[in-house]
Amino acid sequence: MNEKVTFTVDGKQLEGKQGQLLIEACEDSGIHIPRFCWHKRLDPVGMCRMCLVEIDTPRGKALVPSCTTQVSEELIVETESDTVKKAQEGVLEFLLINHPLDCPICDKAGECPLQDQTMAYGPGESRFIEEKRHFEKPIPVSDIVLLDRERCILCARCTRFSDEISGDPLIEFIQRGNKTQVNTFPDEPFKSYFSGNTVQICPVGALTATSYRFKARPWDLKKVSSTCNCCSLGCSVELNVSQNKMLRILGEDNEFTNQGWLSDKGRYNFEYLHSENRLLNIHSRENEDYQTINISDAIEKIKDKIKDLDNPEIKFIVGANSTNEEYFAINKFANSLNRNEFLSKDKSNVYFADDHIHNGYFSEEYTNATFEDLDNSDAIVVWAEDIKDNLPVLFLRIKKAVKNGVKLVVFGHTNTALESLADLYLGAEIVSNNFELKTSLSNIQELKNIIDSKKVTTIIGKSTPLQKKDSLDTLINHLQKVSDLKIFNCFSKANTFGAIQHIDQIKGLNEFCTEYENSNKNIVFTIGANPVNSSFFGSKIKDILEDTDYVISLDIFKNETTELADLILPTTAFGEKEGTITNMEMRVMKQNKILPDPGSTLSEWEYLIMIAQSLGKDINYDSVNELNSELASQFTKTEALPTFDNLNKPSNLFGILNQKEINLNIKDIDQDSPSLLMVKRLYGDSSTQINSPSISMLGSERFIELSEFTLDKYGIESNVATLTQGSSSIFVNIKLNNLLPDNLVLAPINRRGFEKLDSTKDFDLKETKNMKDLSVN
Amino acid sequence: MKETLLLTKHMRENPEDSHSLKSYEKNGGYESVKKVLKSGTPEEVLQEIKDSNIRGRGGAGFPTGVKWGFLAEDEERYLVINGDESEPGTFKDRILLERDPHQLIEGMIITCFAANISKAFIYIRGEYAKPARRVQSAIEEAYEKGYLGKNIFGSSMNLDIVVHLGAGAYICGEETALLNSLEGRRGEPRLKPPFFPAVKGLYNKPTLVNNVETISSVPWIMSNSGKDYSSLGVEGSTGTRIFSLSGHINNPGNYEIEMGSSFGEFVDTLGKGVKNKAIKAYIPGGASAPWLRGDQLDVKMTIDDVANEGSMLGSGAVVMMDEDTNLVLAAKSLVSFFAHESCGQCTPCREGTTWLENILERVASGRGRLSDIDLLLDVCDNISPGLTWPPKMTTICPLGPSATASIVSLMKDFRSEVEVLLPKKVVIG
Repeated sequence: MNEKVTFTVDGKQLEGKQGQLLIEACEDSGIHIPRFCWHKRLDPVGMCRMCLVEIDTPRGKALVPSCTTQVSEELIVETESDTVKKAQEGVLEFLLINHPLDCPICDKAGECPLQDQTMAYGPGESRFIEEKRHFEKPIPVSDIVLLDRERCILCARCTRFSDEISGDPLIEFIQRGNKTQVNTFPDEPFKSYFSGNTVQICPVGALTATSYRFKARPWDLKKVSSTCNCCSLGCSVELNVSQNKMLRILGEDNEFTNQGWLSDKGRYNFEYLHSENRLLNIHSRENEDYQTINISDAIEKIKDKIKDLDNPEIKFIVGANSTNEEYFAINKFANSLNRNEFLSKDKSNVYFADDHIHNGYFSEEYTNATFEDLDNSDAIVVWAEDIKDNLPVLFLRIKKAVKNGVKLVVFGHTNTALESLADLYLGAEIVSNNFELKTSLSNIQELKNIIDSKKVTTIIGKSTPLQKKDSLDTLINHLQKVSDLKIFNCFSKANTFGAIQHIDQIKGLNEFCTEYENSNKNIVFTIGANPVNSSFFGSKIKDILEDTDYVISLDIFKNETTELADLILPTTAFGEKEGTITNMEMRVMKQNKILPDPGSTLSEWEYLIMIAQSLGKDINYDSVNELNSELASQFTKTEALPTFDNLNKPSNLFGILNQKEINLNIKDIDQDSPSLLMVKRLYGDSSTQINSPSISMLGSERFIELSEFTLDKYGIESNVATLTQGSSSIFVNIKLNNLLPDNLVLAPINRRGFEKLDSTKDFDLKETKNMKDLSVN
Repeated sequence: MKETLLLTKHMRENPEDSHSLKSYEKNGGYESVKKVLKSGTPEEVLQEIKDSNIRGRGGAGFPTGVKWGFLAEDEERYLVINGDESEPGTFKDRILLERDPHQLIEGMIITCFAANISKAFIYIRGEYAKPARRVQSAIEEAYEKGYLGKNIFGSSMNLDIVVHLGAGAYICGEETALLNSLEGRRGEPRLKPPFFPAVKGLYNKPTLVNNVETISSVPWIMSNSGKDYSSLGVEGSTGTRIFSLSGHINNPGNYEIEMGSSFGEFVDTLGKGVKNKAIKAYIPGGASAPWLRGDQLDVKMTIDDVANEGSMLGSGAVVMMDEDTNLVLAAKSLVSFFAHESCGQCTPCREGTTWLENILERVASGRGRLSDIDLLLDVCDNISPGLTWPPKMTTICPLGPSATASIVSLMKDFRSEVEVLLPKKVVIG
């Protein structure tokens, strides 16, 4: 495949790789061949016929599509001959005869391949005087995507994406010939975590997204590259802004991470930035009401409070959406508050608000994996929380690797979405409901066949907060022993790796609850975290924060945690701040600012430095650049330091790998897994999603998953049930999932309606009588 | 001239029950395969087929022996019988399926023996309900007798045959579209390369795709010899062919004749002439084939002779159009067919065929423009550059170019029939 071949294009000798597609080989040499259906990340179909070129064959010259022709030694190609030009004009005329040419009202106009290539290669006028083809326009194919079949040029990019890349082929061609059209199956909407990618790769304005329709013209958009912060994968994105409003996020083709794709969450989770519910002012609790105060009063208040409380214990709960620079500042500040005293007592004062955090496998004896390793491995072994819901684009990377022949082994029962891709699915028979291995791994012959003496990449993390690390150790030790292993520590939340790299001895919420002492005077900072809602320890933390003498919340929205705060400091969000993040490969990537700070918001680090300075601490940073250059200098084993300057260089646009040492000391949660397993789904009740109207309704469906056995056990025959716990009860839809072990009920943790459920307490499930047709939303 | 009955002898002589196993065996059926299985080798069968010089009867006329020789080695290989006979004017496979299914089955067993295949499919067009029922019952009869299944005729050979019905798409007669359809996908031709299903076909395995008539000829060839077969007909077009004669003809029908006589002789003797009229034009080989003029009836009915006239013998459908035929409407009718049957993959075919249909419709109804002749030809040229035959293509398969054949014929030989429908050129001043 890597053998070099020499071929001739338009009289010029070019070099390419044996087996490479002509269109790609030409592109590499700077010769652009027009195309619609060809997309470098999709299998070629040769349908649009725009990329026809002339080649010499034993039977004379022939027109062939360059997207399906492989280069070979001595191939002679014409891309600009009269025959080729006539064919290109012909194809464009054919494409346009039934195209509505409604460019003046089309969102794609201005960045439309059909428009651009018509200008460059088209005939200039149409000879078509017949009536054009008509369809109802547009039709919604899902809650967020609309389809205009009149504009569609039937290139099959969207249908191929949903089939080949995301694996949910819910849109297809129906009819044939002149009546061919893309459509969904009856009563089955295009419900996919990745549907937005079809909008981005559509070469015309046929697929549009509700969030962007009629909002802007491409030439009015201000654009900047950045990195998505919806999970820890590090998808490269382009932020599109007009008149200081974020209007669109596009995926950038970062070979290392997302390869152009985004999840719909990453793509559409931005309208919240301009929500009227955003926190824009500092709120201080006076008696029972909040008053708006200014920044100097707020800093004064904190200073006075610390003085009044007379040496209180100050603790920080941090979320996953801060930048490395912000974590660096948090660490500086926390360190200045007698941190060594805590550390000497094996305690901490900074806690990370994700229950899935554990010690991981970071020490010297382990090799850290990169996404490239997924493609280059013989096998991928997954035991972690649900990949598709928590690291959606990683699911695409796994699917791609599997398509190319890499074997997949899946452990546990939180990754049932991967089952259809897996060569070996080790669910309930091997893994107990308490997430322990029931059998010795060396006894599983099929596993042996796949991994022994092979290159293996593992994605390893806690399936649920209650999984014990021992079980993961057993798997890792086994894999270390029998295979050539590379490891992904699977912490799915946005900048988790930034937090654990930059905050010394960061701990989890379990430790927060045990290390918090009621007898002390306490101040707690919550920074971009809502532990009251999103944690297994939610109710405990609520009690603690109610007890705390002074709670200071830095956040972008009011939420269950800020409700308990005495002082709320509004912060800047994604797109409003500059900084770096670290993805799960330990790739430091740049997040860029394109929006002004709204209202009186400030960055987290600005608040913290001001507070530190008011307390007389010697922490002086005037800009995020200063923070960045200092933190970058602490990386040692890296080719280039991840400074803003370096990351802004084109060669480092997609990030710089680093290997800063990580030492965590986090204990298991001392509790067995209950029979109600609460897992995080992609969509849910996060304040950012709820405040983004285009996607706020996604994830509103209340459902539980269980096996047929469990269904029978509860005597349920309909598809609707009532889940009762104590005095609260909710209607739920039933989804049958026979991969789940007996007696286990799987429920989403981050859904409206489910927030009152306590997975550790008993519950009951009853059939909802006479509601067979009830659709619960 | 007379017919030479090889494939249709049995059905002609036993019109009542030629489809039954009883009748087939009574008339020497399954003797050929028994002989082959008992004392023949695959190499010998292949050699006989090569010696016969038989060329595929589906339309492309590819030498069958050569095709079999291409079949790549693999653990799993398939035989697929193309019974999607959809070319307008063609109805020869229909009688072979409906009236002599055992002849086909016997041919398939011999073919599979020669190619070491143990799974075969017969893809029959959906509209052929009765032929499909006949084939299915014949297969059941054969299974009962132990002629299909495991250890057939007591040999070590196993063969299963599955009948699959199409769902009404002409394009599924194109062999790669047929394979897609058989696999349960949309009936769309596959990209080339790979050029031959014999390398990568059904389920990506080496697959022989042969026409019903081709494989029905195998038992005769094996019970006689390849040389005997090649002594019939003429060089390059050996053996007999079943021609489907239709149109303005006194005695339409299927006729099995040796190749080599002229169309005129065929029409006058077996077809009993055109109803007191002169022939204006005729289609020599199915709706895809460019037309020949009435003064070209002396063209010999061989693959090469028809090709030399810029058309093709194709699927053996001969359609006569007498002097009263409105050729613009005839062309429109043919173009409409192709527009309706375009699978929709390739832009030029999907958009172009319907456009051509619309223009012809306009011209035929008197709403044409002076520029329409040039427009028609240029649209055709954008589907089939150069307007030659065999066609060059801007498409994956020849369906689109086939739609241009009748228009090109019309413009080349009968342009005045179009011009008369267009407005007169008015010169002012």
